[in-house]
Amino acid sequence: MNARAVAAWSACCLFIVLSTTNPVYKIMVLAAALTALAVGAGLRRIRGLLVAVLLIAAFATLLNFVSAHLGATVLFALPDQIPALGGPYTLEALVFGASGGITIAAAILAAAPFSLLLDSHEVMDALPAPLSRTGVAIASSLNLVPAVATSFVEVTEAQRLRGWRPRGPRSWMEVVVPVVLTSVEGSIQLAESMEARGFGSGARTAVAALALQRSDWLLVAASGLALAGFAAARAAGLAADWYAYPSLTLPAIHPWPVAACLLLFTPVLVWRSRR
Amino acid sequence: MAIATLTHLTYWYPGRVEPALKAVGLAIKDGLTVVAGQSGGGKSTLLRLFNGLVPHFHGGRIAGSAEVVGRDVIATPTRDMARHVGFVFQDPELQTVYNVVDREVAFGLENTAVPRREIAGRVEEALHAAGVAGLAGRAVRTLSGGERQRVALASALAMRPNLVVLDEPTSQLDPEGAEMVLAAVTRLVREGTSVIISEHRLEQLLRQAAGLVLVDRGNVTTADPDGWRPSPPSLRPARLAAPGGEAWSLEHVTVGFGGRPVLDAVDLAGRAGEVVVLSGPNGGGKTTLLRLIAGSLTPLAGNVWRRPGRVAYLPQNPTVLLHRPTVRAEVRFTLERSGEPGQPEAILGELGLLPVADQYPRDLSCGERQRAALAAVLPGSPSCVLLDEPTRGIDSSARGALAALVARLRDRGASVVIATHDNDLRNALADRVINVAGGRVAEVSFAGVPT
Repeated sequence: MNARAVAAWSACCLFIVLSTTNPVYKIMVLAAALTALAVGAGLRRIRGLLVAVLLIAAFATLLNFVSAHLGATVLFALPDQIPALGGPYTLEALVFGASGGITIAAAILAAAPFSLLLDSHEVMDALPAPLSRTGVAIASSLNLVPAVATSFVEVTEAQRLRGWRPRGPRSWMEVVVPVVLTSVEGSIQLAESMEARGFGSGARTAVAALALQRSDWLLVAASGLALAGFAAARAAGLAADWYAYPSLTLPAIHPWPVAACLLLFTPVLVWRSRR
Repeated sequence: MAIATLTHLTYWYPGRVEPALKAVGLAIKDGLTVVAGQSGGGKSTLLRLFNGLVPHFHGGRIAGSAEVVGRDVIATPTRDMARHVGFVFQDPELQTVYNVVDREVAFGLENTAVPRREIAGRVEEALHAAGVAGLAGRAVRTLSGGERQRVALASALAMRPNLVVLDEPTSQLDPEGAEMVLAAVTRLVREGTSVIISEHRLEQLLRQAAGLVLVDRGNVTTADPDGWRPSPPSLRPARLAAPGGEAWSLEHVTVGFGGRPVLDAVDLAGRAGEVVVLSGPNGGGKTTLLRLIAGSLTPLAGNVWRRPGRVAYLPQNPTVLLHRPTVRAEVRFTLERSGEPGQPEAILGELGLLPVADQYPRDLSCGERQRAALAAVLPGSPSCVLLDEPTRGIDSSARGALAALVARLRDRGASVVIATHDNDLRNALADRVINVAGGRVAEVSFAGVPT
């Protein structure tokens, strides 16, 4: 699995999902991303991510439902006197919110292979040379994330045994302050170690990224074709947009954009499991 | 021939009035040089001078001159010194940039623009020199502490430095890991690399050392490594009271994380006024056992019981405890929370911390922090004392003070459980030794049987 090929596929997914308002195509991208992750990482490993994505999508849906009092199909209404919440609650707002939730979920899952399926050095190797140093700094700081999670557990345990109990937001300062301080110290020690190994001393040699294999080329070609096909379909008016208001209609679909979206399922054929 | 020469060198950390190094005059020869001294004395500061981290990374003021491998350290940035001086830090987990061994070792070579075609050969050579050729391609997170530290050594060696500096490289490791690292270091010296190392496990190193540097409160002197002997191990404090009734017990306890059992069907108990020492390799389950007794972990099966009373728990990483503005405030915090009478000064005096009582605990050296954390958890009269590697990074005199303090708590009826690799501490305190490995516990025969 090559980071540049993954980037091409992710970029294509993001282009389609962000360039159309048609929920059918968005759902196809979401399904492609979900399937690709399931093949590459396994359902067990992505379970936590799926729960988080589901919560975010549900929040986006709810937010639109509560805040957009538009649409013809009124499900119920709250008195107008209630600030922010008063007004009609419509099916159109609910469906349009769900469409937004699908967009967010698809975008997150399309970008997830970078953290779930690739090592940080594989991503860094794929960066152009001028971005190499920045990439190292970002990747090394990401390495500290698990340490922060561990230190949160350690600090909470240690403070509990010293008599600390969670009593309101202010009491959490006794946990948050040591966690932040420990993280900052960890970052400083890592920076010291990087400096001691010549980081920042001028031009870097970036160890060559792995060459694209046949399967990577296939993914790049499929992604390119999907992107070009979808863009052409939009330009030709074949990938019609959709809008939920004022009253719900079924989204229009056409075989060409559908075919372009189907190409996004190529990882199912070319990715091997990295569980 | 001197590989490093310091002349009238004085160094102040930023904002400090008292210098960390005082008018140091030193000539270090090729070969192995051991740096010894009490924790907080300035060893780490001295070592960081050899590659310019002091003053270039840490800031502060410096006076005098320092020449290392023919370069003026004060005028040469650390990133340039990196081509000539390799550095290995205490904590193997906080010096890893990449998560694959080969790439980690290549990091310095990339930074110093070594031609791409040379990198693979240099990495292989360095892994071999550090004795970890078999780890090529492994994910760093899957390595033991000893393996990680040797990968850090390989990362330093990949630069083909004239000098390698190691700052207490074994302080976070179990005996097996420490042995691996020290064996790699001594092999390097035999093969002609100059090495400066700060260590508490001196016996093996002193036999090969060409020089010995002693650091005490910023003053640096030299001694003959053949004639110098470290302080003798702590004496076993006399027992003033016999162990009492059962204070905690685990009945058929199983505990694990993510479906992987760490301890399996463990039966174990401890008495009031008894010291139980847990031994065994890193990752064997010692910390998990302590957390179970503390009540921080819920077992998957079985029962955990502990008599009522305060638990004093020192975690493996003591820094996580420290968040008050002064060491004294840390102790006062515990006393106030536990509602026990007493003044912080008593325990601060016992652990030799009165001189730093009003300092910010995170500004202290590694060994002083460890003592500050001990002072923060042990004041008053806890009924259960759980210590996870309490002698990490502390010197022999501090170890003696700790042994005396724990013995006093034991004689007052506290039930003590200590996870440690430190044989001196075990010999000074243990009533029973329990080996924890592979999810099982087994009592080990031990001479220090309680009266």
